Amino acid sequence: MSAPGTAESTEAIARARAGDAEAWGELYRDYAPAIFRFCRRALPTRQDAEDATMEVFVKVKEKLHQYDSTRPFSSWLYKVAANHCWDLLRRRKIRQDKETEDVETVPLEHPDANQLEQLIEKRTSEEVRKALDKLPARARMALVLRYYSDMSYDEIADELGVRRAFVGVVLLRARHELRQALESTGVLAAGGAG
Amino acid sequence: MSSPPGTNLQGSRMQHLDEMTILLYLERQLDRARAAEVSSHTQECDACRTLMRALERESRLLTRAMLEEEEPLPSRLASFQETARRSMQWIWMVMFGLATTGVYAIYTSYIEPVQNRLQDAGFGGTNLLGLLIFQGAFWKGWQSMASFVEIVALLVVGGSAALLFRRWFRRGTLAALLMAGMCAAAMMPGTASATEFRKGSTAEVAQGESIKGDVFLNGDRMRVEGTVSGDVFAFGRTLEVGGNVGGDVIVFAHTVHITGKVAGNVRAFNNNLTITGDVGRSLTAICESLAIEKSGKVGASVNDFSDSFTLDGHVMQDVLAMNGRLDLSGQVDGGIRLKAESLSIQDAAQVGGPIHYEGTKPPEVSPKAKLASAVDYVHAEKKPEHSHGGYYLWRLLWTSAFVLYGLVLIHLMPSFSKDCVLAAERIGASLGLGLLVGISLFIAAIIACVTFVGAPLGLLGFALWMVMLFSAQIVFGGLLGRWILGPSKDTWGQVGRMALGMAIVGVAVPIIHQVHILEAFVKLAVVIWGFGAISLALYRRLPGVATPSIPIPPPAI
Repeated sequence: MSAPGTAESTEAIARARAGDAEAWGELYRDYAPAIFRFCRRALPTRQDAEDATMEVFVKVKEKLHQYDSTRPFSSWLYKVAANHCWDLLRRRKIRQDKETEDVETVPLEHPDANQLEQLIEKRTSEEVRKALDKLPARARMALVLRYYSDMSYDEIADELGVRRAFVGVVLLRARHELRQALESTGVLAAGGAG
Repeated sequence: MSSPPGTNLQGSRMQHLDEMTILLYLERQLDRARAAEVSSHTQECDACRTLMRALERESRLLTRAMLEEEEPLPSRLASFQETARRSMQWIWMVMFGLATTGVYAIYTSYIEPVQNRLQDAGFGGTNLLGLLIFQGAFWKGWQSMASFVEIVALLVVGGSAALLFRRWFRRGTLAALLMAGMCAAAMMPGTASATEFRKGSTAEVAQGESIKGDVFLNGDRMRVEGTVSGDVFAFGRTLEVGGNVGGDVIVFAHTVHITGKVAGNVRAFNNNLTITGDVGRSLTAICESLAIEKSGKVGASVNDFSDSFTLDGHVMQDVLAMNGRLDLSGQVDGGIRLKAESLSIQDAAQVGGPIHYEGTKPPEVSPKAKLASAVDYVHAEKKPEHSHGGYYLWRLLWTSAFVLYGLVLIHLMPSFSKDCVLAAERIGASLGLGLLVGISLFIAAIIACVTFVGAPLGLLGFALWMVMLFSAQIVFGGLLGRWILGPSKDTWGQVGRMALGMAIVGVAVPIIHQVHILEAFVKLAVVIWGFGAISLALYRRLPGVATPSIPIPPPAI
């Protein structure tokens, strides 16, 4: 199995583009787990993520000839996946949540750093994932694109359909919402424990 | 947690940076000058430095939480990968090649001899299904079916070969190509005959001329006075067949007159068709007026869809007719099934079988006519079907029944139902596979019924075919609902989408019912589509295709 992004992987991509089913299988084996995780983070349910992963790979297979081999394959793959997931959310109208709100404004605050440190320190990865699940679709998608797919601000702007200048605002708002979700999880956990 | 922007946390010495600026700095989104300012500020300001560290930790926590592989790749996705890796194309090609070879072999070994024996013994199909399918009303018979299969097989092999050559003959493909090629070669007809083309204002096969093979005529006036050993295809204004035709006559013309001898079938789409000669097998006519004159003879059955049908000649098997009126003064050895406005049976008429007549006027039957039994007359109201209130009630009941059936299916097999709908999204594959499996399964079931394989297996095949046929519409309904409402999360979501889709189909059918041909096409497409989707979903679940798990690679991309 070739690791994604290696020369071997590049060769597999070239062969898959030529129609080699074995090479396509290799690519799928290498990248499916990552794309599944991407969909899992971006979409509301596991079932959705499974469906989306399959659909993304069907699209990738169809569009493989469009892939520009001078760019990293994983970036292109994430872009296809992001397009698909975002489109899926749009079709379900989930994206309408808070979308029309004042995305361009965020209070220019200087939060209490110690309090933030404390909040982060106590949280496990699992708690963060649970909190992520509670976020509105766009906030979640913005965080996934940035911190999972490592997309640039330009790519995120393009994906979410916002001006590049406001990507930071979207991300910061998403972080605020995540903190709120984490806090409420903490309160619930404390309440449950007590 | 937060303080208002610009709050001085360390006396009045300095203005703090806002969170946005620090985040943009961390994410390297500030220009060089601003970044330098932020950097120098954080070196001096503890509060801002602490906030920066906190934000950095938050970013790391987020990335870690997202990249962490907390659940394995679902087995469904692993099996999907297997499917993708295997690339179904060549497997299907081989399977189809083998299947067609098998069908052809069984036909030539078992069915054809039995069929010939039955023909020799004088048995002919008299029921409607037999009349339409097995008497060659719509095709030449099993022989032409075999030709059809040959053509499809060759197309599949050709197309697949083109695809496969691109793959530099990787593992398995060469073997597949060879096998499929052999299958195709085995099915090639023994002698190939060329088709003769004749065009012009007068296109003819002159008297005394003999053509081995088929002939294609196109012209204002078309004539066949000589001998053609194969089929005659004619497109033009008039056609006269005065010679001998060994095969079929397929004609699209204004006026057709057959005075000679046609050993095969006649299929005519025209205005006027007159037969004074001899047709060896069946006659199918879609025209304004059909006349089988006194000297005219049809060796098998007549299927007529014309405005006026005059039968003075001799039909050796059954007559199936849907027309304006039928005047019968000739001889029919079999029965008559007629849907018309009027029926007139004259003195000289002779009918050997039962006569079922559904019409708006009672039949006029001469007492001198020799009939095996009295005319079974059903009075039909001349009213369009969709103008009945009952039609809509029936549609409603039918749709409800489908929804109920779908509900049961989805609850019994939620995962499989979902897979079917997902498979249906691959429109091309579903339609292609649906056509293939729909026809193959049906033929296989018939073969199983009439050969040594045995009726139980054949009937089971039929039952499966019927179940798939009905379920196909459910799958289409599910797909329609999914397109409108998006993918469903749970079983009831699937049911709701299916119900919505079926409701849309239920509303759409009475609308397109106004155009009968369109209704038939749409229904056929829907059934084939759903059939293919079910087949595709079944294929993915075949043991050996789906693997339960595969080793999961490291999480990073």
